[in-house]
Amino acid sequence: MKKNLLIRLTGLGLAVITAMGMTACEPKTPEGPGGTASAEYTKPDSIKMTFDTCMTFENGLQDVCDEYKNQTGITLEVEKPDHNKYYEKITLAFASGTPSDAIEMGSTYYPENANNGALWDMTDAWENTTAPAKSVVDPSYVDALKIDIRDGNGPRLYGFPTVAGNGTVTYVRQDWMDQMGIKTPETYDEFIGMLRTFKEKGKPGTIPLTAAGLLNNGETPYDIYLREFYQDAIPDFYQKDDGTWVDGFSEPAMEAALTRLHDAFAEGLIDGEIVTNKTSTCRDKVNAGLVGCFNYWAGMWCAKLEDATTGTDPNAKFTALPIIKEAGHYTERVPTALVITNNCANPVGVFEDLIMYSHDGDKGQMLFTHGVVDKHYTDNGDGTCTALPYYEDPTKLCEKAFYAPELSISTWNDPIALDPRVEESLKVFRENRTFATVPVVSDVISENLANLNVVKGEVVANVLHGNISVEEGMAKYNKDAGKYVEAILADLNG
Amino acid sequence: MATNTDAIVVKKPPLSVRIYKYRYFYLMAVPVIVLLLLFFYWPMLGIRFAFSTYKLKHITSGKGPDYSTGLGNFKALFTDRFFLDSFRNTIALSFWNLVFATVFTVVVALLINELQHEWGKKFVQTVLYLPHFLSWVVVASIFTLLLSAGADATGSDPTTVGFINAVFLKLGLIDKPHSFLTETSTWRPCWYIIQRWKETGWGTIIYLAALSGISPDLYEAAEIDGAGRLKQTWYITLPSLMNTILIVFILNLAKILNVFESVFVLYNDLVLSVSDVVQTYTYRKGIQGNDYGYATAIGLFKSVISLFLVTGADYVAKKIRGYGIV
Repeated sequence: MKKNLLIRLTGLGLAVITAMGMTACEPKTPEGPGGTASAEYTKPDSIKMTFDTCMTFENGLQDVCDEYKNQTGITLEVEKPDHNKYYEKITLAFASGTPSDAIEMGSTYYPENANNGALWDMTDAWENTTAPAKSVVDPSYVDALKIDIRDGNGPRLYGFPTVAGNGTVTYVRQDWMDQMGIKTPETYDEFIGMLRTFKEKGKPGTIPLTAAGLLNNGETPYDIYLREFYQDAIPDFYQKDDGTWVDGFSEPAMEAALTRLHDAFAEGLIDGEIVTNKTSTCRDKVNAGLVGCFNYWAGMWCAKLEDATTGTDPNAKFTALPIIKEAGHYTERVPTALVITNNCANPVGVFEDLIMYSHDGDKGQMLFTHGVVDKHYTDNGDGTCTALPYYEDPTKLCEKAFYAPELSISTWNDPIALDPRVEESLKVFRENRTFATVPVVSDVISENLANLNVVKGEVVANVLHGNISVEEGMAKYNKDAGKYVEAILADLNG
Repeated sequence: MATNTDAIVVKKPPLSVRIYKYRYFYLMAVPVIVLLLLFFYWPMLGIRFAFSTYKLKHITSGKGPDYSTGLGNFKALFTDRFFLDSFRNTIALSFWNLVFATVFTVVVALLINELQHEWGKKFVQTVLYLPHFLSWVVVASIFTLLLSAGADATGSDPTTVGFINAVFLKLGLIDKPHSFLTETSTWRPCWYIIQRWKETGWGTIIYLAALSGISPDLYEAAEIDGAGRLKQTWYITLPSLMNTILIVFILNLAKILNVFESVFVLYNDLVLSVSDVVQTYTYRKGIQGNDYGYATAIGLFKSVISLFLVTGADYVAKKIRGYGIV
């Protein structure tokens, strides 16, 4: 009798837990997407923001948050996960229904989350705002983030650009070029000729060209690190002038790109470890003075690479190359967005008091760009400021708080002058760039993209290494990826 | 007439009395039970998602999982080339890793046990345990550098080759650098070696504890009977260790399909056909693809297989040795 009672109580307990689990595991419904900005809005008491590319807490991020509180009266709580785990953390936060109010989000993830209804539609807020940012921010960057999730509402804005999308340029060792009598390459043949000269005349261990992976580690645009080799090939879906969607990876241009990659690799002109390279390993090789050519981010990185390399090779000098004729252009990514999630209780407040404030062309802009006066920079009293050293590493000057100054989307007078090398590399990039569009997104793409990217990676890597021929590679792609490509194209063109 | 047997029969007090008597023990057990229910049993309720279509959209829209899918995820699973390849790879990698783990760990434990010098023994143990505390990311970086074929794809400039290739070239074992971690023929052997380098030392702890429990009388008796070190190991040490080996083997069998981190940090596009495992595939589908229903179906399938493996091994152990652990 007592035993039965115990069993019953245990059963009841488990049933209660089960019932609790059934309800607790399914996140609560947030407010529906869409929002209208109003001149009247409630000022938020606090804002929780998740950010990847900001300064670290060790270098005084909390000081920036404290200063924001001083200026606005709003508590800013910033979460900065490890860079390598950033998007995993974001995905898990969405899955568990606990994302921050605002999140920094790259262009690969932004459309996916917008399509999934996770992001607040800020189109009306931007159109109706009376904040100073309206006249300060370059609207072309904002328009670049408008996407059509095919819900019948047309292109809408689900995130606000933090900075310009930027892109990569090919940095080359100018000192090597001068020593070896190489003129700036303008064509693919001249480019390959330059790499050959690096290999032949360089010191033992010279790597003519290195890159961090073959397809940008599955992030769009896939071809940015190897523009000279991909040229007119687009290893992704794209829309033709007549409006139809096609798979660029299946086209003849891709075969030609694979041939170029294979030939250059077989000749030893491309880093033999390119498949296993990470950006950090590439930078290590560059900094060790071994690399002649490295395609990497325009702007600040020109100076950073040069400064780091002069430690091992005092004569090292890097120059950004104009794009070669056959490649036509470098690619400026879709800007990184600061999104407001649908879990945010006061999205209009966050839009006005965080996003608009940070682009006000005045003290909000200064705070979000350079940090706190006398902690991250000093005011010279003559309208200019000077960056102060980082807390952690006094040998380096503070570069940014949240927004990289050299990539600002606002027309404001930044009182801290840029390093001339940074300006020069950005000038080369901007003269040679075209703008990428927001990656197309749909349920069918989301379902098939992971497998499709695996096949692409396998094919490019194996052709590069000569494990299979270009023809075999394309045949493998058609065989292994055919059903995914077919499904995606049917959806896009349907 | 009462017998002696009747005299020792003690009537069990009622359950409530026993609970009251041991109430403080039960009280102490409460946190453990709560933690077990909260972190082990409650999450299990999530297996219902395996029978649904459940993506980020279902969460943000507030609709919740779509259970009309039924067994759809499992049907898709068994026609998915990537899943089937990853399942085959998981079985192959885990099976051989389990075999090597068992053999190497036991052998190394026996060798450590033979060390007479106490300081030397502690030193060897410390050196062997250390790799266990390195993260897989660090281990992968170390071995990627050691095994590198260098940056020159033609193999004519050995300046940047890794230590292993440099040694092999010096000894004339190879005529050009070999890219161990980017070739399908060598990736798996490298993975087994790296696994053993990292985990063998740590695995010896339980065997060394078991070895210390073997009665010295047995060895003395064997020595009197003329048994040498090898015969003592074969006839005394190994049979005494069999219970421990069996327990560790069955426990490891339960984890056979849980290979993730070591593969994730060491695989690349060139060796995907031999290295992609169920967990890495689940990561791509679940985390990167936001397909929680499908990823849960993979997880459930994996758990069912593990359950069969453990109960199967336990059944075999009972048949052969007369006892198991379940």
